[in-house]
Amino acid sequence: MSAPQINISDVASLARLTLTPDETAKFSAQLSQILGHMETLSQIATGAVPEVTPPAQPALRQDIPTPSLSIEAALSNAPAQANDLILVPRILE
Amino acid sequence: MSTPAKWEAVIGLEVHVQLLTQTKMFCGCTNHYGDAPTSHVCPVCLGLPGSLPVPNEEAIRLTLLTGLMLGCNLAPVARFDRKNYFYPDMPKNYQISQYDDPLCAGGLVPLDPFLFPKEIQDTAEAKAGRSIRLTRIHLEEDVAKSFHFEDRSGIDFNRAGTPLMEIVSEADLRTPGEAFSFLGSLRQVLLAGHVSHADMEKGQMRCDVNVSIRPIGQKEFGTKVELKNLNSTSGVRRALTYEIARQIAACEKGEAIAHETRRWDDQAGATFTMRTKEKAHDYRYFPDPDLLPVRTDQGLLEAARTRLPELPTVLQSRLIQAFGVTAYQASVLGADRVLCAYFEKAAAQAKSKATVANWILNDFLSTQPDPATTPILPEFFGELADLVADGTINSAQAKKVFAELMANPASPREIVKRLGLAQISDVSALGTYCDEAIAANPRSVEDYRAGKTNAINALKGFVMKKSQGKANPLQVDEILKAKLSA
Amino acid sequence: MSLAYETIATLRRRLLSKEIHPRDILKDLFTQIDAREKTLHAYTYLHRESALAAAEKADLSLPLGGIPIALKDNLNALGDPCTCASKILEGYKAPYDATAVSLLRQAGSILLGRTNMDEFAMGSSTENSALGLTRNPWDPTRIPGGSSGGSAAAVAGRIALAALGSDTGGSIRQPAALCGCVGLKPTYGRVSRYGLVAFASSLDQIGPLTRTVEDSALLLSVLAGHDPRDNTTDLRPPEKFLTQKNGSVQGLRVGLPKEYFLPGMDSETESAIRSAADWFKKNGATLVDVSLPHTPTAIAVYYILATAEASANLARFDGVRYGRRATDARDVLDLYHRTRSEGFGAEVKRRIILGTFVLSQGYADAYYRQAQKVRALLRQDFEKAFTQCDLLLTPTSPEPAFPLGERTQDPLKMYLADVFTISTNLAGNGAISLPCGFTKSNLPIGLQLIGPRFGEETILRGAHAFEQAHDFFQRLPPS
Repeated sequence: MSAPQINISDVASLARLTLTPDETAKFSAQLSQILGHMETLSQIATGAVPEVTPPAQPALRQDIPTPSLSIEAALSNAPAQANDLILVPRILE
Repeated sequence: MSTPAKWEAVIGLEVHVQLLTQTKMFCGCTNHYGDAPTSHVCPVCLGLPGSLPVPNEEAIRLTLLTGLMLGCNLAPVARFDRKNYFYPDMPKNYQISQYDDPLCAGGLVPLDPFLFPKEIQDTAEAKAGRSIRLTRIHLEEDVAKSFHFEDRSGIDFNRAGTPLMEIVSEADLRTPGEAFSFLGSLRQVLLAGHVSHADMEKGQMRCDVNVSIRPIGQKEFGTKVELKNLNSTSGVRRALTYEIARQIAACEKGEAIAHETRRWDDQAGATFTMRTKEKAHDYRYFPDPDLLPVRTDQGLLEAARTRLPELPTVLQSRLIQAFGVTAYQASVLGADRVLCAYFEKAAAQAKSKATVANWILNDFLSTQPDPATTPILPEFFGELADLVADGTINSAQAKKVFAELMANPASPREIVKRLGLAQISDVSALGTYCDEAIAANPRSVEDYRAGKTNAINALKGFVMKKSQGKANPLQVDEILKAKLSA
Repeated sequence: MSLAYETIATLRRRLLSKEIHPRDILKDLFTQIDAREKTLHAYTYLHRESALAAAEKADLSLPLGGIPIALKDNLNALGDPCTCASKILEGYKAPYDATAVSLLRQAGSILLGRTNMDEFAMGSSTENSALGLTRNPWDPTRIPGGSSGGSAAAVAGRIALAALGSDTGGSIRQPAALCGCVGLKPTYGRVSRYGLVAFASSLDQIGPLTRTVEDSALLLSVLAGHDPRDNTTDLRPPEKFLTQKNGSVQGLRVGLPKEYFLPGMDSETESAIRSAADWFKKNGATLVDVSLPHTPTAIAVYYILATAEASANLARFDGVRYGRRATDARDVLDLYHRTRSEGFGAEVKRRIILGTFVLSQGYADAYYRQAQKVRALLRQDFEKAFTQCDLLLTPTSPEPAFPLGERTQDPLKMYLADVFTISTNLAGNGAISLPCGFTKSNLPIGLQLIGPRFGEETILRGAHAFEQAHDFFQRLPPS
């Protein structure tokens, strides 16, 4: 497999980033170089190798309430708020 | 509107169920609705930088219990994955969900015929006794609640991170009525296990529907449309009825069905395009590295097993066999475990158990009682039924006893005494009443003897009046007949 | 001599004997800071007043009572900023303590300040900081390494006694090597990550940067242990490290992985590492040749998995609940795009895009899943090697500190700087870097000792023995 051509703008948009034309050009070149390096992986035979599964252990949480933040603390970092709600510009589908 | 014979609908449901836990899925914040906004949040469920999730073991147990109740295959090791998409109601902009290794796979929901819409319970559709296959059940976290204002939206994060169980059906459903019964039947199971209150109108159970149509006999599925904003089981039924008709009309006009998401507008009684699905979401699922795989085979599954309740179908057959109730009564009792327990107590010692069911389901229920707190002991209904069965009172008297029971709760035997209601079954006393009746109503006697057998009713009425309603009507009937034919 | 030059262990003895007061330590540190911070720019934030106030109330009976410690600027501490050296966290004040921070507080230590880093710990030079670059105390024209460059420069430059860092692919060990101090990356799961702003969750570990191995052990003893808030912490009971120091390496089997000694590597680095290996042999250790055959794949595996995880971890920085919010956004989508495009620096964007790509439909199998499988092979390499030896001995960095600006335009070359540290993060093992020599131009060279998983005691013993037999840790950078 050879390094794919990434459509940088599409990928950036999935990640909610808008790139300048300058960034697009620069990142395209750099990422294809990096992905080229990553082609080494396709050479490794991994047919029988399972993906890494960390050891499962029963460190779960008991269903017992713990204190929440105060409303003031919870909203202390909010860029915009009213009536204890965090405000955002309108949501379009 | 019924589906024209040449088409059939193919329906699959994705049901989200809020779980009855004390705390959220991945943090110790209280899992409770209706409180002041932003009052149940912490660094974890607010998605603050550096915070980490830790799974709620009770939510996992409840999901396993649901899997047990629905006959799913339960995974010995399950994993949580991240589902990536941006939305302001999702604090981390990824949702912790399960993708490759859900807690439960497979399973069945048997459709209860009496949980079909009332007016079609007698149809072959309802009586077919179908079971709907499940694809999977997994656990995930809910999103926050948004409020939309004119130019802005406000977000309350109290719901963010609360446990949500997603139950996905196979595309096995064929009619809106089946979808209706599926949701009702599923709810009965969830209630039985104390997994959720599962009330759609309260958002405790939410449902997305996938529906397509195809000519009967065709194997391939048609283009599927997803329906959203369904807030009640009857809404699901109405939306499906509309949407199936819409798709059929389009197909018959030769129009193509668009692969899209449509919004049900309950007021308008129609579905409207929300978004087309030309560009499929790329959720970029991957195992959440903050969470170790969950081993269910080290205690969790066993704990869930000890909570297995009597399932609705099992309960219903037991009620029919042990108490002689009708299938319909069994379904009603099965739907309300508190009422059912009340009935079982009432009927336990009673001689006529089926009569107890009638009293409770017809008379008692119409007074809208709370069986959990009512001062009327269940045993009273057993007694009431027995009083009628052994002839102590007649059914008209029983109605009086019932009314008194509701007004001034006491043992029916005492009420009978208090109201002086005991039936007169003494043959000589009744004979005297009957002689008086015959003497006082020569015309009726004549009519009866002339073959108008109905005329005996006037004589009976006389006896009942004389005896202040206490005469045993069956005995009166016998005695009168004997005397008249003598 | 200024108390800023002492080790924690020494200062603790002097505090307990009432010879000095915690305020004396702070006074000397602030004098040093006033003299050197302008050049080094190791800090993003200093707690001058609160630290002095805390010194007056210090409880000396606690293990770190009265000891000031600096935090990398990606650890949440209640009420303090936590910038991750990013514009996107402008104005954010942590409403909670990271577990590591609360453990430090419970152990009596005083928060001194917050140290500079590569933005969101993405980098190997601390040049990717939105808050300005940090300089190497040994040569201010050179990088301090990264991403915990501020922590390493502060400790090596004697303007902090110790600092916490975080290590995802070498971010504690590589700057420690390049600045000439001791940097420990604990075994994955040893120290709670709760409150550490995540870069790559399956690789990140918090660890100490100190002057000596003994101080490193002291801090690890405070930090280590299961945390109910971090599902990935190990359940083993708490341990105290390096309580016995006999300075012996007798009988220790030291493995030299051949893949870490390549033709063409920096000759001064190679000879310092070879001398270190010789010292172990001379003092009774056995040298074993071992192989970690999948080493050449480590960079690729790392940059796939780390960026994939980061692409999700950094999605929460969207201007909705905290931090910077772009103004005049038309709608929410516009808010996301503007906030993130304005708030993130170039390296962060590059990695988010790479990570988004390797997880995207059609590519996840070839990149993300294949990388997970190769990661399993890398882990097997280490497990196999540790059946033959007790410690692995390698260089920490292929070369000493390089000049500022040299690699900022060549990310791949920058990534290759982590070639010797990355594998241990992928395998989850613990490792330490400590000074083992200096170049002719007086730049420190770091020795890396890697242990089996949860083998920190062996690592610390070996490192301590080597350290105490040499004077590298006592050398001071030019002032």
